[in-house]
Amino acid sequence: MAQTAVILFWFATVMYVAATVLYAYFFLSKRAAYSWYATFLTGAGFLCHTASVGLRSVAEHGTDLSGPNTLILSAWALVLAYFVMEHLIRVKVYGTLLVPLSLVLMVISQLMSVRVGAASPLVENWKIGIHVALIVFANAGFFIAGVGALAYLIQESQLKRHRTNVLFKRLPSLANIDLIERRAVAFAFPAYTAGLLLGVFRAIETDPPGWWADPRVMLAGVVWAVFGTYLVLHYTQRASARTTAWITLAGVFIVAVVAVTARTVPAGFHVFGL
Amino acid sequence: MHLIIVGLSHKTAPIEIRERLTFPAHKQAEALSLLTSDDRIAEAVIISTCNRTEIYAVASGDDEGVDAVIDFMATYHSLDRHELVRSLYMHRSEDVVRHLFRVVSSLDSMVIGEAQILGQVKEGYEHALGNGATGKVFNKLFRQSFEVGKRVRTETEIGENAVSISYAAIELAKKVFDTLQGRTILILGAGKMSELTAKHLVSNGVKTVLVANRTFERAQDLASRFNGEAVRYDDLYTRMRDADVVISSTSATHYVITKEQVAQSMRGRGGRPLFLIDIAVPRDIEPAVNELGNVFLYDIDELTGVVESNLEERMREARRAEAIIDEEFAAFMRWRESLEVQPTIAAIRARAEVIREGELEKAYRRLGDLSDKDRQTVDALTSAIVNKMLHGPTQRLKQAAEAKDGYEYIETARHLYGLDESEGRGHGRLRDMLNRRAKEITEITEITSGEAGDSLGC
Repeated sequence: MAQTAVILFWFATVMYVAATVLYAYFFLSKRAAYSWYATFLTGAGFLCHTASVGLRSVAEHGTDLSGPNTLILSAWALVLAYFVMEHLIRVKVYGTLLVPLSLVLMVISQLMSVRVGAASPLVENWKIGIHVALIVFANAGFFIAGVGALAYLIQESQLKRHRTNVLFKRLPSLANIDLIERRAVAFAFPAYTAGLLLGVFRAIETDPPGWWADPRVMLAGVVWAVFGTYLVLHYTQRASARTTAWITLAGVFIVAVVAVTARTVPAGFHVFGL
Repeated sequence: MHLIIVGLSHKTAPIEIRERLTFPAHKQAEALSLLTSDDRIAEAVIISTCNRTEIYAVASGDDEGVDAVIDFMATYHSLDRHELVRSLYMHRSEDVVRHLFRVVSSLDSMVIGEAQILGQVKEGYEHALGNGATGKVFNKLFRQSFEVGKRVRTETEIGENAVSISYAAIELAKKVFDTLQGRTILILGAGKMSELTAKHLVSNGVKTVLVANRTFERAQDLASRFNGEAVRYDDLYTRMRDADVVISSTSATHYVITKEQVAQSMRGRGGRPLFLIDIAVPRDIEPAVNELGNVFLYDIDELTGVVESNLEERMREARRAEAIIDEEFAAFMRWRESLEVQPTIAAIRARAEVIREGELEKAYRRLGDLSDKDRQTVDALTSAIVNKMLHGPTQRLKQAAEAKDGYEYIETARHLYGLDESEGRGHGRLRDMLNRRAKEITEITEITSGEAGDSLGC
């Protein structure tokens, strides 16, 4: 079963590679047929990906929460979130940006070395499983918002400078990008909040010394504050879409820093021997 | 079967001549009937637009056909033939196919990439079809040309970028708002340019039109044309809060809208962006307005820049369209080749030769050991039978093909001899192989011409 999971993982990776190439070709040539094939391959890859994650969890009697597997789960959540978003907004061009991102996460997961160690007793609880799942989904939403924010700033800058290039024609309108960004954050933020709360409850339950001073916990609090600010500013219309796009990018940057910190900073309880 | 086209367009004739040579829809039946009543014309299609009048014809001969069409045009429009010829262009044979494909792809249009021409050519063809003026050749050619037009529009971006100031403004506004449905525009100044731009915006779904002008009556007049609302000049900046798009085209010699005023208007807009189009010279809107967040300002030069860049883009796409045309042209020529008499005769002979050789092999096996002389005799006998059988039909086919509807005989011959798609109409290796064989046979036939009737004992 574990072997089948590995085979399916590589099948999924190959399909994401093919989808990335097709999305790139679609982006350049704007031929709708390529986006259809790309979406089809992404869907097929996603099914293999899902089966791989499922079989691995069955084979290992639980979902591994090590760094590499968290990246695989993040890639899976990103593709799922992309499909939900495409279903709602029907703009194919985001596939060009998000599927390669998932592919990168899959590849990095294979380049990372797994430090085998005893699992912390902290993680042996259902709350942590849900905590990780919620954070993974929330991060996928934040990444989608980040891609949208980047697209917004590029598009806005071209409109302001009155100079356009190929991206101008390919990227959606400012209103559309802003909508995607807002919806992605609006979906991710409650998930992130719930995920953090579960983590905090579990930490209070087990009460490891100085858990609140853990770098990852503190940075997660910063992420929460940044995206909370984003939502407040957006919904109270007290900041321009440009400003909120910069806030989103800052938030996504901190999300990436949190992920790196957990694996590179040896201090803190929140590394779980990874 | 000779394809010809005689026509004139914006490239060869001024409007004074073009307007005298039009064939309006209600007169096409009569014109087509007159045209095809000429013995030299088998099929005809008339394309008549404001920029071109073209008559496509299948004629019994190139020059005869061209003469027939020019005579028809001169007579029909009561024009002097010599004067008329000076404005005309003529294409023959494969140039006609390539020209038609370029026309439907809008590569020959005044504005490359314009969308109307495909519909206009379709309309011309439908008139001809409805009046029985088309036959096998034009039915194939024109239907394929529509495919070419469709392919060019879907596989390239030839028609995607606006090439007029007002459409460029709409294209940019859509890049901000996504859609103009339900939006509000404010027109400042009741000039022609702002009216034209407003008209395009309204046709793209703009819901509310506000018009402000120093003379309130003129504002009311323009507003009434769009079911809009006239705004007192003093209320301009207050009402700007409601607008999504502002079009300014006054004759003022100073800035009518300043950065400070727009900054004030932006407060209380709920974060909605504002798109300003300044088509006035001298400019009405202070350029520094563009520095404000969520405000996008384009003046006439910047819009012209967008148009020029879009035109360059269309030229690049035109090169991609030419590649599609080459592909489709080759496909049509393959089909057309199958209607030519020589390839058909060659294909009939190739088929007969294949059958003869096959039967000969079987006979040799049954007869057992034969001397070389016997083999040569049997071989010559079968060749002679085949040649004699085919000589008469091929000669008559050649003569029949000279007639204006000669391809009908060729079609019949192909049908009778069972020359299917693989022998001259299809694609791929089998077709190429058979064509090569057919060519060899043609060459052999040409070398031994004069012996075709009686080769026994050679």
